[in-house]
Amino acid sequence: MHWKLFADLAEVAGDREVDVDVEADAPTVDDALSALLDAYPALEPRVLTDAGKLEPHLNLLKNGEQIGEPGLSTPVDEGDELALFPPVSGG
Amino acid sequence: MSLSLDATQLDRYSRHIIMDEIGPEGQAALLDGRVLVVGAGGLGAPVIQYLAAAGVGTIGVVDDDTVERSNLQRQVIHADSDVGIPKVESAAAFVADLNPDITVETYETRLSKANAADIIPEYDLVVDASDNFPTRYLVNDVCRLAEIPVSHGAIYRFEGQVTTLVPEGPCYRCLFPEPPEPGTVPDCATTGVLGVLPGTVGCLQATEAVKLLLDTGEPLVGTMLCYDAMDLSVERVPYRARDDCPICGTDPIDSIAGIEYSGGCQVEDVGSDRAASQ
Repeated sequence: MHWKLFADLAEVAGDREVDVDVEADAPTVDDALSALLDAYPALEPRVLTDAGKLEPHLNLLKNGEQIGEPGLSTPVDEGDELALFPPVSGG
Repeated sequence: MSLSLDATQLDRYSRHIIMDEIGPEGQAALLDGRVLVVGAGGLGAPVIQYLAAAGVGTIGVVDDDTVERSNLQRQVIHADSDVGIPKVESAAAFVADLNPDITVETYETRLSKANAADIIPEYDLVVDASDNFPTRYLVNDVCRLAEIPVSHGAIYRFEGQVTTLVPEGPCYRCLFPEPPEPGTVPDCATTGVLGVLPGTVGCLQATEAVKLLLDTGEPLVGTMLCYDAMDLSVERVPYRARDDCPICGTDPIDSIAGIEYSGGCQVEDVGSDRAASQ
C-alpha cells in the first residue's frame, strides 16, 4: 500500500512517500493505517487521538478522495494510494 | 459600474481590454470591485500587488503587524525602509506608487469576532492571506454567513493549499471541521518558509479573486489544490459539502456568537442539539 504524507506529517515520519505491507486477507484502510503507524511510530501521537481515533482535523484520502473516520473500514487493494493531509495556516 | 475608462486607463489596462474574456466591461468590473485582503504578509503581499496592478478599484487591507526585517525575504510589497512601520501603511504606499486608480482602505487591527461582521460585508470578496487558524475559521464562518466568497491560501515550509469558498459550494469546515489543537502544527516563525512559496500561492489566490470579479472561468470550488515546491507537484483533492457542517450544512448556525476563535474554533454552546454533537 502506498501512503503520501503532507506538511508536518511528512516531517514527523521523515518521508513523504511510504510503502507499507498489509498482512490482512481483506485489508481495509484501518489496516493500512495501522501498518503505517507500525512502520513510523512517531506518527501515532500526531495521527491518533488519545482514544485511538483518527485526529478529526486530518483528512484521509483514498486515491485522492476523502474518506475520513467513518471510512476506515473501506477495503483497499495493493494498488491503492492513501494520503493523510492536515490543514496548514501559514501566510 | 464605472461609465467608461479614460485614455490613461485604456493604456494601462490595454492587455486586459484586448482579451475577449475581459474587455472594457471586465476591466470596468475590476475597477468597481471591492476586495478585502486579510493579512499583508507573505501571501497578502503578492495578492495586494497583483490586484492593484490589475486595477481592482478598492482593496481593503487588515493587518495589525509592523514590518520586520525577517519579513522581507518574502513579503515583496514591504521594503527595507519600511521596517518598523505598520504593514497596512506600507501596503497602501506600495499601491499608491503602483497604481493611482486604486483606493486602499486600511484596518490596522486584527480581524476579530468583534469587528469582522462590520468589515467583511463591505466587500465583494475576501482573500484569506492570514497566518493563523483562528483568523482562517473566523473568515470562513463570517463570509459564509454573509454569503461572500473567499479565496483561501495557506502555506507551510515548501507546501501550499489553495481553495475557493463560494456560497453555493462547500466551506472550509466541510474539509477541516476544526483546526488542530494550538501548537500541533508549527508556524512559519518556528519552521521557516521558502521565500518564493507565498508568491506562488498568493498569485493563485489573486487569480481566483480576479476570476470571481470577472465572473469568468472555473473557480477552485470543492477542490483543495495542494502545491509542493520541492517537486513542483500539484495535487487536486476534491471535497464535498457536509450535511452536518455547522456553518453550511442542513442545520447551520445563524451567528458566530457561540464560537470561541482563540482556541480550537469549535462550534458549540449555540443552543442546538446538532452543535452539541460536534
